[in-house]
Amino acid sequence: MSHIRKYRSLARTSLEITFVYRAGFVLNMIGTVFYVVAMFYLWQTIFLGNPGSLSGFTWPEMKAYLLVAFLLNSLLTWYDEWIMSQDIREGRVAVDLARPIDFQAARFAGAMGPVPFEFCSALAVGAIVATVFGGIALPADPVHAALFLVTCALATLVKFGIVYCVSMTAFWTTGIEGIVVSRIAIQNIFSGALIPLVFFPDVLRGIAAVLPFQAMISTPALTYLGKLDGPTTLFMIGVQAFWAIGLAIAGRLMWRRAVRAVTINGG
Amino acid sequence: MAADVAAGTRSAAAARLVAARRLVYLYFRCLGQQMKAIMAYEANFIVLMFSAVLVQLAGLAFIWAIFQRIPDVNGWTFWQVVMMSALIFVTEGVGSLFFEGTWRLSYLVYTGQFDQMLVRPISPIVQVLAGAVGFNGLGNIVTGFVLIGIAMANVPVQWTPGRVLMLVILLVSAATIRVAINLASAASTFWIRSPWSMVPMFVHQLGDFAKYPITIYSVAVQALIVVAVPFAFVSFFPTAFVFGVEAWSLAGLLTPLVAIYAVVMAVWIFRVGLNRYESSGH
Repeated sequence: MSHIRKYRSLARTSLEITFVYRAGFVLNMIGTVFYVVAMFYLWQTIFLGNPGSLSGFTWPEMKAYLLVAFLLNSLLTWYDEWIMSQDIREGRVAVDLARPIDFQAARFAGAMGPVPFEFCSALAVGAIVATVFGGIALPADPVHAALFLVTCALATLVKFGIVYCVSMTAFWTTGIEGIVVSRIAIQNIFSGALIPLVFFPDVLRGIAAVLPFQAMISTPALTYLGKLDGPTTLFMIGVQAFWAIGLAIAGRLMWRRAVRAVTINGG
Repeated sequence: MAADVAAGTRSAAAARLVAARRLVYLYFRCLGQQMKAIMAYEANFIVLMFSAVLVQLAGLAFIWAIFQRIPDVNGWTFWQVVMMSALIFVTEGVGSLFFEGTWRLSYLVYTGQFDQMLVRPISPIVQVLAGAVGFNGLGNIVTGFVLIGIAMANVPVQWTPGRVLMLVILLVSAATIRVAINLASAASTFWIRSPWSMVPMFVHQLGDFAKYPITIYSVAVQALIVVAVPFAFVSFFPTAFVFGVEAWSLAGLLTPLVAIYAVVMAVWIFRVGLNRYESSGH
């Protein structure tokens, strides 16, 4: 039981830090809000010129899709990567190594702490945007709404897995900035954050299907809208779970290798 | 007597020219030192460049996917929208590669390091502009120019020497506007005392709006990016001119004037802010 307490207090501390140093959070929010508003105008114009549906999406559905993507993008920001990599670069991990805690679990607790705050802020901003643009499509039905929450939780686990692995590269590189930007660019294409994957040609969709990124946005958004049939939804949730676990293991392996590298450098 | 006056003005003009050339020289000397610091981490700067290319490819994939389904957005074609995005990227690249220092200003002011710049016999604006190098900018510039080149091949208008010259003037003006906006927003740090001023990022992100034709926005958003923070003159109006879109191309000719206006305003805002500056700890 004391195990859980340790990590819970880490999560709480991390949330408090977010409140004190709002800079990273606000920066991320600003970056995405203008983008989302621009997207809303762009799609509004497109749907005005093409009434009905595009690739199976109506305008209210597209609005809902964009907001779900915005919401999920607001959780676990690049700020987490930055903090983790700074800890590694500046050697503060040495302190973590001496503590009776699991590094990955501690970082997970730290990343999860601010999530409720990030979620509520994004929801508030999203609600304003949705109201200005005349409402969005609601979840297909209560079952899909419940499944949507499950997919969101799994999507966040997958995102943490990726963010953690990317942070680990800080052990081997002198700067992580370029890697983080690359990660975000690739993720934006293949997660469906920029545009629903159904708009892409078969080749790109094929690549997206075998990458973990679609589990982060496409799956939750399509579940919300009820675009997938029952068995497919369950299969996609299974895929999310697969990536969540797989990436967590990959992160652990990277950490184990990295710690060896640290010993060499320091000794 | 008249000859003396004429000689006087001539030597004053010559002195100004020497001073301006000295500023440019000093700027490149400062920048060169930053270059050396970055080149020390070779792998890092290659990854940074590569990341900028990836970001652009992601943006291109998005535009392309949309235009696979529809022929035009509000009358704007694929290559016109690509041109707008590419102009935003190229000018951002110029900003990062040559004038990244504006992003460090709030940190310098916060830590008091800015004082060093004030005691040196070089304009603080030149020192701020040359204060850092962002190598990701090189990736943006190269990819952006490739896209502009391809977009140009799809312009339905006849290329005359005058038009080519105008394209060059528009590109220089667009980059100038971008850098002036950066400098002006960075100067906000003289009013807001925090290691992380939000204003520059806030203003920078407004550029997102200018990646798409301004005709898709409400009047309020249009006013914001045409008048308040003239990002529309970085991408939209130059594109309209180059593609000969009649309704908007005349405004494209205003771009060089907007560039001059933006620089004058940025320098003025910076100077006003500098007058307020009291080193940290006061």
